[in-house]
This record gives sequence, structure tokens and C-alpha cells, in this order.
Amino acid sequence: MIIHRVIRKVQRFQGWFGGGAALCIIAGLYIGLIGSPPDYYQGEVVRIMYVHVPLAHTSLFAYIVLSIGSMWYLWKRDPIVDNMCHAVAAIGAIFTTLALATGMIWGKPTWNTWWTWDARLTSYTIMLMILIGYLMLRTFIDDSEKEARYAAVLAILGLVDLPIIHFSVEWWRTLHQPQSISMRGVSISSGILIPLMCMSIGMSLLFSYMLMVRTQLLYLDRLLHAKKGRLMSQFHMSKTDP
Amino acid sequence: MNFFNVIRWIVWKDLVTELRSRETISSMVFFALIVILIFSFSFSMDQQAAREVIAGIIWVAFAFTGIIGLGKSFSAELQNDCIEALQMVPESKGAIYLGKVAANFLFIFVVEILLFPMFVIFFNLDVVEEISLLLLIFFLATLGLSAVGTLFSALTVQIRAREVMLPILLLPMVVPVMIAAVEATKGALNGDPLPMYSQWLELLAIFDVIFTVVSFWMFEFVMDN
Repeated sequence: MIIHRVIRKVQRFQGWFGGGAALCIIAGLYIGLIGSPPDYYQGEVVRIMYVHVPLAHTSLFAYIVLSIGSMWYLWKRDPIVDNMCHAVAAIGAIFTTLALATGMIWGKPTWNTWWTWDARLTSYTIMLMILIGYLMLRTFIDDSEKEARYAAVLAILGLVDLPIIHFSVEWWRTLHQPQSISMRGVSISSGILIPLMCMSIGMSLLFSYMLMVRTQLLYLDRLLHAKKGRLMSQFHMSKTDP
Repeated sequence: MNFFNVIRWIVWKDLVTELRSRETISSMVFFALIVILIFSFSFSMDQQAAREVIAGIIWVAFAFTGIIGLGKSFSAELQNDCIEALQMVPESKGAIYLGKVAANFLFIFVVEILLFPMFVIFFNLDVVEEISLLLLIFFLATLGLSAVGTLFSALTVQIRAREVMLPILLLPMVVPVMIAAVEATKGALNGDPLPMYSQWLELLAIFDVIFTVVSFWMFEFVMDN
């Protein structure tokens, strides 16, 4: 139950995470959208990168948290870890969707297409499918212990699968067509790096803040259900008393 | 009952049930025939176009057919609460998993062997030289499909909306199998030299090993009620 105590202890600082996230994101957006010069190659379009790249990094981080949490749950069977996994999957799905959407908006003027079956895009989309399948699976199970166990099994299988998916998709694309579009050779200048770092830290803090709030919400929800069950049974007992 | 006896009995039980009812294999074959028919309407098939897309059609048909077989594998155990009897087997749950994988693999592989001549006839394929290689590809890909599919079949059978959830969970997971099987089949049908697509066979073999081990281990948690 050590993780339980750690989570409860960290929860106390959630306000700091939220405040820090707001500060970093506001500062990052200000420098990124107004303060920094437009990119030499991409012009004003590059500014969406300040949102897109942090979102993409954070959503990968979400999957790492999810898989570690799932393994921990199968090992220790601590319900609050399961609440955390549930929360991180939902937040990860939102971040992944937003990262894909901002990427598409960036792709339209840059690549002249909304979508291309590029290796990274494809494996990222499959990751989103697995996350959505994970969330759907959870809604279809009534028993909360079983729900946690099955969800953890699915998350671990997904974790094992992700590198294989990534490599197979990469081979598949490179065999068909040479990489037509790449960002390589474009080094990052400090004018871009500072707002990017700012937004990355901000997004990670925002992610942690959302994770804490949602974990707490699910935790309290579970307590409430347990309490409700107890009250209901007491009520029935008192009615059957003569 | 030791570990290998459990495996043998599970396979035997599934085979006998199938031989007596002939439900699974006949429905799989018939369904796949309809899929082939739909595909031949959806694409206008001249010889050249067929060469381009036939590998994809074969594997889409096989995957959908496989899902039907996999879904039936554990939903049959729900009758008379047989699944609870399986959970009470005094042996590692992995034995049940391996037995079910073997049975599912046999069903899907038999269906593929029955169906492949249909593809050869309907799409005018020339396969005489590469038939052993194609069989190897079918073997490896079907093993990968049933290794993951058996675990998800056991997992989805105990929840609501199981017919929907099995393909939703399974198909994203077996994306590597589908890509590798399609690419290798395409290579074999076009008569390319083996080194051009042997990496896909290696990928299939690696996937099979990894997922048989991981699913074997995870099956304990799925059946543990």
C-alpha cells in the first residue's frame, strides 16, 4: 500500500501543478504566438508546433504511465492504481486525438494534404484505437475488480504490441515509397526552442494536474458506490426486522 | 491430469464437438465465400488489378473468418457453465490457453486450406511453384492471429457486448500480422525471390513467439475468477 500513500501525498500539491501548468502554457503561448519570429521555411504555420509537439510527447508519456500502472495493479491489486490507469487512459486518448488533429492542421499547408499514411501517423493512430478499445472495454464490465483486471491485461498486451506495430508500419512504408517528407536537416533555433520547452513543461504539468483530479474523482466515486451499497443493505436489513 | 494431458483433452474436446456439430467450420467457410463474392463486386477485377489487391483480399477474408471462429471458441463454453468447469481445472490455466490456441489454430488453418483453392479459381492465380511458401505464411500468420485471438476471446466472452468487443480489441493488436502476411503473400504470389520478403516471415515468427508467451502468462489473470 506504499503507492497508495504516495498518491495521496502527491494529491495535496495538485493546486501547484494546475497553477504551474497555467503559467507555463500562458507564457509559452505568448512567446510562441506573438514573441517569436516566423520560421524561415514554414512561415507562420510553424506556430502550431508549439501545441502539437508537447501534446504528442505528453500522450506517449500517458501510455507509459498506463502500462506501468497496469503492471503494478496486476502485481499488488491496489484499487487506486486502477483508478489512476482509468484516468490516464481517458486523458491520454484526448491528448492523442488533439495531437492528431493539430498535426493534420499543420499538414494541410505544409504537406498539402490532411492525411498521409506515414509510419509515425499510422502507428500513432493504431495506438489511439487501442486506447479507445481499452476505454470501451471498461464500460462493458459491471464488476469493478474484473474490469480493472481485464483492462490491465489489455494495456499490457498493447504495451508489448506498440514497438512491433511501430517497426512493422515503418518497414511497410519504407518499402513502398521513400520518405517523401521529413523534418531532418532543420535544426531548432533558440527562438523556437524556448517557447517549445515552455509549452512542453506546461503540457506535462497540465497532464499531471488532470490526472490527479480525475484519479481522485474516480476514487471518490468508488467510495461512494461502496457506501451506497452498504446503506442499501442496511436499509433492507432494517425493513426485514420484525 | 498433468499439463500436457490438459492440453490434449481440450483439443480433443473441441475437435469432437466440432466434428459432431460442424457449426464453426461450416459457418466460417460460408462467411468467407460471401466475403470473396463481395470483394469481386467491389473491385473490377482484371488480371493486373487482381495481382495488386489479391493478397489484401485474402487476408481480410481470413481475418474476418478467423474472428468468427475465435468468438465461438469460448462462447460455446458458456452453455451449461462449462467455463466454470474450465476454471476449476487443477492445473495451470496456461494449459487451457495452449489447448484452445491449438484448437483455434486448427480450425482457422483448415478453413484457410479449404478457401485458398477458391481464390485460385476465382482470381486466376498461379501458385504451383510457391505453394509450400504460401503454406508457411498461412501457418505463421494464423498462429499469431489465434495466439492473441484466443486470449481476447476468453476476455470478451465474460463481458457485455462481446460480439462487438472481440474485433474492436483484436484487430488493432494484430496489425503487424496483417501487414506482414499481406506483404509476404504478395511477394510469394508475384514470384519475387525469397530474400525480398523474408523479413516479413521473420516478423511473423517473432510476433508468434512474443505473443504466445505474453498471452500464456496473461491468461491466468483472465480466467482467475
